[in-house]
Amino acid sequence: MAVTVAPVPTARPDTGGRIRDAALVCIGRFGLAKTTVDDIAREAGCSRATLYRYFDGKPAIVRAAVSAERDRVVAALVELGRAAPTFTDAVVAVCVEAARELRAHDALQFLLAHEPEAVLGHLAFGPGDRVLVAAGDAVAPAFDRWLSPDAATRAGDWLARLLRSYVLMPHPPVDFTDPIAARTFLELLVLPGLVSAGLPESRELP
Amino acid sequence: MAAGDDTRQRVLRGASECIGRDGMAKTTVDDVAAASGVSRATIYRLFPGGKDEVLRDTVGWEMDRFFLRLGDELGDAPDFPEFLERALPLARRELLEHDLLQKVLETEPDRLNALITVQQHRVIGAIAAYFLPLLERDRDAGLVAAGADLALTAEYVARLSLSLIASPGRHDLADPAEVRDLVRGELLGGVLVNR
Repeated sequence: MAVTVAPVPTARPDTGGRIRDAALVCIGRFGLAKTTVDDIAREAGCSRATLYRYFDGKPAIVRAAVSAERDRVVAALVELGRAAPTFTDAVVAVCVEAARELRAHDALQFLLAHEPEAVLGHLAFGPGDRVLVAAGDAVAPAFDRWLSPDAATRAGDWLARLLRSYVLMPHPPVDFTDPIAARTFLELLVLPGLVSAGLPESRELP
Repeated sequence: MAAGDDTRQRVLRGASECIGRDGMAKTTVDDVAAASGVSRATIYRLFPGGKDEVLRDTVGWEMDRFFLRLGDELGDAPDFPEFLERALPLARRELLEHDLLQKVLETEPDRLNALITVQQHRVIGAIAAYFLPLLERDRDAGLVAAGADLALTAEYVARLSLSLIASPGRHDLADPAEVRDLVRGELLGGVLVNR
């Protein structure tokens, strides 16, 4: 199986990466509306002129930051899923890690608390359709040791729905960042459905 | 307090009319007062948060009505899996045909999304409370595992049903075979005795 090797992280990320990271720090601190290009340049330790050589404004920086964060989290989830000894362990690991990433993400949490419309417009109704389809496709490789490609995609889709509701929406009855609570809940209600008649090609390895 | 509830209903119905006509941003407390025949002072007594509170509660009220109507149409399903198999496509269709909701989604989606998240907890609670006795009936009939945590199950099915109705994504809720797989697989696979 071909293995994609992630670039080795270096002590000093490239300037574009530093600007993206700086934008996330600023959004976590001031929110999206109040963050300015000057704030981002200052946080990144570069001049406005340098920043504009990489990005043509705040929306472009935010788009690049979101897409880099998505790629980083998806790569981590796929690696965890593939390294798990059983399908159950893979599902638990992916859910717990995704929940922790979402909960610990300062920029995302600031926006959910203070500017929810900046996030929810991309997650609910029609845009939600696109996000869920993309998430299912992206996370599917985490499960392809145990499931057919279709079933793996379908499982990825379902877990994305689960996390959208239980981690991003208020008052969940279970805390998915807690591995024991997550495993109990997943084994009880979710896993039987993922390996059921609806997913005929699924199989659990010992 | 029946009289207060009645006035409240009139305000919510009036606000719903205003939103459908003018959108959320342009609707004022004066407009709602005029549409409902209730004074400004009474509206502020019932909704101390003013316009924001009226809008938020109107969204919640519309959502409650939506699910009550759905329940009325589906009351005679023989068991919970079949209820869901009929409810999901119907709810999706009704959502797409809901004039007020579609208008606001088209013109002011950000405003609506923020309100819906605030309201979602309440709506999930109401749907779960509706599902619970259906699950209990199926457990007594031997269709649902005797030891299952039905309150947790009802809450889970409510959350994920809402997810499917609002954003079906890759799933086609108009396809009965696909809906059956979702209901007996992902949604109820953990508690059904025979899928």
